[in-house]
Amino acid sequence: MIDNSAQAQPATHACGCPSGKIVLEAVVVGALGLAFAFLANQLSPRGLNPARNYSPGGGKAGVVPPPAPAASRSSGGANVPASAPSPAALLAQRLEAKGLHLVERPEAEKLFHDPRLQQNAILFIDARDEDHYQAGHIPGAFEFYPYYPEKYLAAVLTPCQFAEQIVVYCTGGECEDSESAALFLRDAAGVPGGKLFVYGGGMTEWEAAGLPVESGPRNSGNLRNPGP
Amino acid sequence: MKHPLLPGGLTALDAASVLARWLLGGLFIYMGCRKALHPDLFLKLLREYQLTENPLALNSIAIAVPWVEVFCGLLLLAGIAVRGTALLLAGMLAAFTAVVFHRALGVQAAQAIPFCAVRFDCGCGGGPEFICAKLPENIGMFLLAVWLLAGRGRAFCAFYAWPARSG
Repeated sequence: MIDNSAQAQPATHACGCPSGKIVLEAVVVGALGLAFAFLANQLSPRGLNPARNYSPGGGKAGVVPPPAPAASRSSGGANVPASAPSPAALLAQRLEAKGLHLVERPEAEKLFHDPRLQQNAILFIDARDEDHYQAGHIPGAFEFYPYYPEKYLAAVLTPCQFAEQIVVYCTGGECEDSESAALFLRDAAGVPGGKLFVYGGGMTEWEAAGLPVESGPRNSGNLRNPGP
Repeated sequence: MKHPLLPGGLTALDAASVLARWLLGGLFIYMGCRKALHPDLFLKLLREYQLTENPLALNSIAIAVPWVEVFCGLLLLAGIAVRGTALLLAGMLAAFTAVVFHRALGVQAAQAIPFCAVRFDCGCGGGPEFICAKLPENIGMFLLAVWLLAGRGRAFCAFYAWPARSG
């Protein structure tokens, strides 16, 4: 019942550090674990490509999650000086530096109600993952999650080539998937950067404004807040 | 002392050690699978630590960590190379705990909130958690790994020491 084969082997030296054989065992386990990991990743349909840059935007400026509302407000936004530029201004600067353009809600809403949307001259692209897309997206938006571009590229590439304006969005706030998707479409798929716009407020702002939301697949007709 | 109700003449300590080994193995399989099934989300969380800007290094960590956790969990459940696996897990837990603690300090400073009010998704597999719950959880798992490293949990092992040693 109890394996005594290693009973004679001390687990640690007198110093308390593990014996050489245990360290060797750990190294073997680690090496096999790594081989297992890369093989499993290769076989997994959700596996990552080790060589791809999934954050071509270079990551977000801050690494801190959004402050807890009550605590941070009462502290007056501890480390943020009163004259600091707004998050939207910072985002606009960052996008401009990469040759992309920011749109805010009024403009996104105007484009959504533009008749050219029906002719696919204006496109909305949802850069969130499939679960979020299915739960609710801007009506008619194409799905393009930049972590698995191969899955979505065939469906969006042709419409993107013919569109005059393309609005890419994700959740909003700290989310950078819209930026990554726009950069992928421009740099890897050859979509002209001049017609790519990032809607910074994203789905969170869109829903909060009571604007129409479609659930399920694209053009499913399952609408919330359908409007007039 | 052997317990009359335990199989194979196990002592209560032996039985507790095996349960601890299975618990630790099960936890690592669970947390590893949560990350391995959504490596994209894990990569996003990993980026928050600003460990490296190099995409290859970052992607490799995002690929390796979840599956190595699953692999080690399976070894512990089966009882293969238990002490080597425990040493590897103890090392990983020490490193994870250090980076999570460091990030929690950063969040605390930026948000000017009490340390125990810091709550974020550390990418550990359990979703957003308060740091004052996460740290004891990690320390508990670290101690379990050290206990196994000390030679506990030998019962029901396929190959306690591996590669098999003679004598």
